[in-house]
Amino acid sequence: MTIQLVLSVMLVGVAVLIALQRTTARLLRLGVLAVIALGGFFVWVPEATNRVAETFGVGRGADLILYVWVVITLALIVILFLKVAQLSRKLTHLARAIALGNPKLPAHHGRERDGGIR
Amino acid sequence: MPSEFEQQTWVVVPALNEREVIGPCVAELRAVFPNVVVVDDGSRDATGDEALASGAVVVRHPLNLGQGAAIQTGIQFALSRAAGYVATFDADGQHRVEDLKRMLDILVREQLDIVLGSRFLGHAEGMTLGRSTLLRAGVQFTNLTTGVKLTDAHNGLRIMTASAAGRIRIVQDGMAHASEFIAEIGRLGLSVREAPVTIRYSAYSLAKGQKMSNSFRILADLFVGWLLR
Repeated sequence: MTIQLVLSVMLVGVAVLIALQRTTARLLRLGVLAVIALGGFFVWVPEATNRVAETFGVGRGADLILYVWVVITLALIVILFLKVAQLSRKLTHLARAIALGNPKLPAHHGRERDGGIR
Repeated sequence: MPSEFEQQTWVVVPALNEREVIGPCVAELRAVFPNVVVVDDGSRDATGDEALASGAVVVRHPLNLGQGAAIQTGIQFALSRAAGYVATFDADGQHRVEDLKRMLDILVREQLDIVLGSRFLGHAEGMTLGRSTLLRAGVQFTNLTTGVKLTDAHNGLRIMTASAAGRIRIVQDGMAHASEFIAEIGRLGLSVREAPVTIRYSAYSLAKGQKMSNSFRILADLFVGWLLR
């Protein structure tokens, strides 16, 4: 009973956070909320996971949830990794633009403020 | 007096925390090549000021990005100044200006796209056996993965025409850019030759330079870069 209450409160908390994410696409938000609702159902009717597991050829519901969890976690790691790589490329472009926009010229070139140094 | 070709050359010197050596390095270069751009890769010391005082143009990354990013920034700066030829040269004193001068002659005379320095055709003073073995293994790896046959794949001394410099795209911000350079040569079908050069390993350059364990990091970077292509 206790664990079911704790899990339910956490799921509701996450659901509220997701629902408030105005910047995320509505379809994605609805999808995540549906997954959370399904999770809530399984929290209160754990036997249901066994029946789902059977149809997938997995022995126990708990095992099925573990497998799905592993796959989702790996997918998230890859997505985050790609995001970080993308961000670091943007950062490089930004830093490069700042660098190229402010060249410091040595004293003897001082009179030629813009244009060729040669 | 620098020759016509030397005057058309921009030498790109990527530098991170090289305050002690950047001044003499720029001064030596400028005795032959009047146009030197030092890319200060977010140094925390006075590298930029020293370089400027020695007569180099300085562009500064607001944060540390890595040597590959610094080289690409330097190349873009050189091209924006209508360079005819673009060279890359290490700040730590391991390269010799006379080698670069000779490489420019070869580039112009043989009408090549790019000339790369090779310490294995020339020689390397003070190179340990371990470093030599690892570098040769790196060469084998690069030859296999890029299809360009070279004797030294990780030499920071290079010179290329402006048109080659404009086509090569270095997106590896870290040390994997050396392999990326070769891969770009292969992809673009550039005409390339290696020229023997002398590398002077000093206590300073060895302390500042690549630790051998970094090769794993480079392999990982290359793999990630390949995934993101």
